[in-house]
Amino acid sequence: MKKERYFGEFGGQFVSESLMNTLEELDRVYEDAIRDKEFLKQCAYYLKQYVGRETPLYYAENLSREYGTKIYLKREDLNHTGAHKINNVIGQILLAKRMGKKKVIAETGAGQHGVATATGAALFNMECTVYMGEEDMRRQELNVFRMKMLGAKVLCVKSGSRTLKDATNEAIRTWAKTAEDTFYVIGSAVGPYPYPKMVKEFQSVISRESKKQILEAEGRLPDVVMACVGGGSNSIGMFADFIEEPSVRLIGVEAAGLGIETGKHASAMALGKPGTLHGMRSYLLQDDDGNIQIAHSISAGLDYPGVGPEHAYLKDSGRAEYVSITDVEAMDALQELCRLEGIIPAIESAHAIAYAKKQAKKMKEDEIMIVCLSGRGDKDVHTVSDYISGKVEVR
Amino acid sequence: MENRIEQKMQDLRKRGEKAFITYMTAGLPDMAGCKALIKTQEEAGVDVLELGIPFSDPVADGPVIQNASYKSIQLGTNLKKVFALMKEVRAEGVKLPIVFMMYYNTALYFGLDAFVKECIASGVDGLIIPDLPMEEQEDIKDALKKEGAPILIELVSPVSADRIPKILENARGFVYCVSGMGVTGQSGNFHKEIYSYLSTVKNVSEIPVMMGFGIEQAKDVAPMKEVIDGAIVGSHFIRILEANDYKPQAAKEYCRTFKRELNE
Repeated sequence: MKKERYFGEFGGQFVSESLMNTLEELDRVYEDAIRDKEFLKQCAYYLKQYVGRETPLYYAENLSREYGTKIYLKREDLNHTGAHKINNVIGQILLAKRMGKKKVIAETGAGQHGVATATGAALFNMECTVYMGEEDMRRQELNVFRMKMLGAKVLCVKSGSRTLKDATNEAIRTWAKTAEDTFYVIGSAVGPYPYPKMVKEFQSVISRESKKQILEAEGRLPDVVMACVGGGSNSIGMFADFIEEPSVRLIGVEAAGLGIETGKHASAMALGKPGTLHGMRSYLLQDDDGNIQIAHSISAGLDYPGVGPEHAYLKDSGRAEYVSITDVEAMDALQELCRLEGIIPAIESAHAIAYAKKQAKKMKEDEIMIVCLSGRGDKDVHTVSDYISGKVEVR
Repeated sequence: MENRIEQKMQDLRKRGEKAFITYMTAGLPDMAGCKALIKTQEEAGVDVLELGIPFSDPVADGPVIQNASYKSIQLGTNLKKVFALMKEVRAEGVKLPIVFMMYYNTALYFGLDAFVKECIASGVDGLIIPDLPMEEQEDIKDALKKEGAPILIELVSPVSADRIPKILENARGFVYCVSGMGVTGQSGNFHKEIYSYLSTVKNVSEIPVMMGFGIEQAKDVAPMKEVIDGAIVGSHFIRILEANDYKPQAAKEYCRTFKRELNE
């Protein structure tokens, strides 16, 4: 029994008893749905006609020339709503519909998942409430406004660190109260089973397309596949179809914030220990009493003290490597990508770009790397402007 | 040595009395004040005390207990200090059954074997872990096999339905029936099917059935009297403590009244 709810020793269902039947029902409906041709057809339809898939696998000519290897960008930033988050939302909202739920709730950090959920709820005529930390609402004002325009209620979470961790706590509390008529749309590859499995499935379209596209463009698999990791949804989607391809190196890039050594970072894999939070057992940042520590990153979307359980498993099994990038390195890479390629990436995605620059230097000219450009940076222009004018503490 | 909770349940059954169980967050107003409150509650006739180990992310708790946990952590409360407090109260003669209400990560981080050893050494009688459903209990149950280890109190909810017999299979002490959906401290917001749910549990349970979440006064549970063996008060008790500066006298009056009215 234990095995199927786990990735190695990670995952599980550390939730209150009142949610256990809900999770079991969800798993049953999900397993049924992904074997149902009609459901899959519906998903594919909305991903193509509404989200705008497939997204390009763009050969970044200038970046490649600059760093001496072939770098392809998987353009998830070109999705409707501006990030990969919508892929998963379409899947989960269609599931909610299948279960007859009329209300959805979601947590959000950077606001991209909140915007995606608000968008999906508008499309399918559902009532939507998004939980967001007060600190994140300040950092991501534009996304708060977008959610409201889309008809969602945004609830300001003022407990704890006032960021994604606490927004998730509040969403779980509300869900435990209202699970009888409410569907919880989790945005990252975290939470109790079956969520990590579902989010992976709905995001795996990223790697399925990438694999097909790189085979068309290069006639072979890439040498390296890379993505940023907060909770780990774009990365697990980017890795999914390559996990069984041993020749492909998988690299996840966490946020090192002000630097791992300062303690102000969000790299659960670098220094975290296994523990339980948000319904899962995984690597977490914890203090000496087992309390969860506050993560730090200039990017609201990576500012999470844990990581999805499958990533913890991929790390321990050695299949994937996890590295980290500081605020400064990410902001440099963000600006460099603007100038070199005319693309403004999200600060989250800029972490992957920053490590791609380092990795490229170790690679040969004809080797191939795919980097997931998980989202666009429009939401971040305020932060970038504050950073450039020295208003953000980064050291 | 017999477990203090089980002993207490037998005594209550013999006397035909209903149990009154309180919850308070450990370390408030400070360690000395917390100790005084434990003694007061024993004197006031509380049958079992739940001592909350504060955790940074208490997802099963409403705002009152969240704030209490936060305050207590700020004051430096941690598991080690609560074990030390337990040793003191036992050395000073407190016989009151005490249950740790805690989140799983706190025990996990401490190390399950070391945790159980400390529980035995300091006289902890039971554990309530709201984020550890039966599917995830294997590891802690292994650790709890030691002689004199605390018992694991099982929780059931209004939507547990066909899970109830399985949950109760080897349950000990008492079964904790959560009165509604969601978190602690939603006053009077019991589930719409509360009576039939509690009677289902009462019918299959071989151990006493306690109702908790959202209870303030003994009259709140009066309609359920036939199907429960006792009541648990947490958030409301903390509100009373806070409103009275954590003075033992206020706790004593509230507990005495509740226990008396519950058995009228």
